[in-house]
Amino acid sequence: MPPIHRTPHPRRAGDNAFLAFLRRGLPESRLFPVSLLLLALAALLGPNRQLRSDNFVFYLPASRTLLQLETIEGTKYLPVLPILNTVGKVGGLQEKKDSLRIWFGMVQVELRPDDVKVRLDKDIVNLAQPVRVSNGQWMVPVDFLITVLPRLTHETVEYQEGTNRIFIGDVKPGSFTVRLDPLPSGARLTVQFTDKVTVRTASSNGKWVLFLGDRPIEPVEDAYHFQNPYVNDLEFDDQDGVAKLLLSPTSTGLNFFPVQAEDGKILLADVLKVPAVIAQVASPQATSPPAAPATTSGAPALPGEESPAAPPGPPLPVVVLDAGHGGAETGGRSRDGVWEKDLVAQFVARVRLALLGTNKYRIVLTRTGDVDTSLEQRALAANLAGANYFLSFHAGNLGTASRRIAVFSFHPPTPPASSQPLSPSALAPWARVQEAHLDRSRRLALALQQRLALLSGVEVDLPAGAPVRALRSVDAPAIAIEVGRLAIDTDATALTEPAFQQQVAASVVEALATFEKGGT
Amino acid sequence: MSLRARTLLLLLLVVLAVAGFYLRSLAKRIFIEPAQHAEEAARAKLSQFALQSKRGPSQTAILYFPSLDGGNLLPENRSLIWAESDVDRVRQVVLALAEGSHQGLSRVLPSSTTVRAVFLSPDGTAYVDLANDVLNEFPSGIQTETLAIYSLVDSITMNIPSVKRVQFLIQGQEVETLDGHADLTAAFDPDPSRINSGP
Repeated sequence: MPPIHRTPHPRRAGDNAFLAFLRRGLPESRLFPVSLLLLALAALLGPNRQLRSDNFVFYLPASRTLLQLETIEGTKYLPVLPILNTVGKVGGLQEKKDSLRIWFGMVQVELRPDDVKVRLDKDIVNLAQPVRVSNGQWMVPVDFLITVLPRLTHETVEYQEGTNRIFIGDVKPGSFTVRLDPLPSGARLTVQFTDKVTVRTASSNGKWVLFLGDRPIEPVEDAYHFQNPYVNDLEFDDQDGVAKLLLSPTSTGLNFFPVQAEDGKILLADVLKVPAVIAQVASPQATSPPAAPATTSGAPALPGEESPAAPPGPPLPVVVLDAGHGGAETGGRSRDGVWEKDLVAQFVARVRLALLGTNKYRIVLTRTGDVDTSLEQRALAANLAGANYFLSFHAGNLGTASRRIAVFSFHPPTPPASSQPLSPSALAPWARVQEAHLDRSRRLALALQQRLALLSGVEVDLPAGAPVRALRSVDAPAIAIEVGRLAIDTDATALTEPAFQQQVAASVVEALATFEKGGT
Repeated sequence: MSLRARTLLLLLLVVLAVAGFYLRSLAKRIFIEPAQHAEEAARAKLSQFALQSKRGPSQTAILYFPSLDGGNLLPENRSLIWAESDVDRVRQVVLALAEGSHQGLSRVLPSSTTVRAVFLSPDGTAYVDLANDVLNEFPSGIQTETLAIYSLVDSITMNIPSVKRVQFLIQGQEVETLDGHADLTAAFDPDPSRINSGP
């Protein structure tokens, strides 16, 4: 059906009301210089957005587009017309005071201000937050991207909640894991990429910048914070459409020696408190000359060379959260269409936020978005990150109860031949790594089971051993948490309730705290 | 050509076309379809033979079926006329479990389960090769997969003493997991602790 233009003065999708006002109030010939003047003023007076801004990045197979985010009452919003013009072409629109109709492809989209309902022809899709009109622009909350957009474009959409980037269509972003190890006079940052990356380094505002090339990257975390005397944190930034890592040292006078290995899949970067000449000898493989962080006027206040900003202390424990399945590997399914892969991703998102809220843990996710990640990759991510705890989330048929939780530690199919259990410090075959942690894994399972048992309306089984493949090669205390009942003959409503998921997340936080204190 | 001759020619062409289609379908039924199904049919026949063994007296076997509510295995007595060889007995136990519980316990395997082959190694490892239809309607999950595995392993090892452990294959291949959760890359020792023998 051809799009129908019903507005008396059709306008180009994406124009805002302010420019429309200028168009009405000024002759066309004067509009251009006035716009230029306003843009120049905005550039001069606006905040410095060289490395960070409130942009949202759309990664498409052949391009990427930045859209400005606006926060309205604590919720992130994006302008709807630029979104649609980014992923396709708006055929026409009709704007009234209380509604906006857009013709996109064969679908008519209707929005109303302060209404959570979006009408797609005769269907209605509910957004998490209402549509807003801000400065003449129709704004939609970010969840529009995952609830409405796939129905309009019929493309796969990969979006990790809370992030400012989305991958649409046949875009396969790479990712990476990070670990920081102490050195005698410094620290070594190891970044393991999923694919080959050509890293280019620079320094800016007291930080080292590692540009990661043109390939789209979806980080497991946007920021890593370290309790290390030499390195404060590592941030991922792609807000200007260019993927990069920003490494913040704790003080000036430190030297930085990045070197790539494994055909570009690994970046080793030493941060050393030694003269550059000595460092070069110590690190003959370094390909880039040392670049001390610049101390420009925009640099953060840094303490003196002799006293590191962060007191020496143990690094934050790393909790690896593993959302089972993903992508084509959907796992189980309920009668009302809830897939195991999606349900466990919700649990992991809540547990992640609850743990981050304590400021006591560094969180690593084994998968972000709806992607198929092999069991080996999950264990590899955990082991490379130096996991202290590994929690794998699953859902399944646990009997007749609508809400039931079972906690499992690893049970080897065949007991170890040796009567002596493997010690955590011993070198073990990859397939038997978890056997060195069985006792601590069992105690962790018990600690969580005891916390979960305090929840009302939830049946909780005693911890059990099971040959869970996802735990087998994890070099840390590891448990699997299965929630039920998720079965094809039952609705999963009881499991998708946010309050229940939040209770489980809080129990995980309490159980880890108890376990760290040595209790079970 | 006269009208009559043209009519006869047309009729002849129609008859030839119909005959051609018939011969094609006949050849397909005779030469192609049996070849595709011969292997599975032979296996099904073998399985049926294993279950309907008439040699020897009827004996009571104990099968262990999952209890999802209890998270354990419950025993159920079943009269079986044991086959002579241990390999066939393994097949009998698997197919008896696939037949389902007579007391309303949870199902381990779909009734359509096909045992492709069973091998018994000198060290007492039984290799049970199942067709991939074992995953039809299989309830995915850690608990369900774990109980299904130990239902098979405990039922086999406790009824056939020469079998010490069981290694599962699917379609003749070693697979990573049963259905995304339970590790199938190693042989399983029996685990009597999963059996609830109480009242």
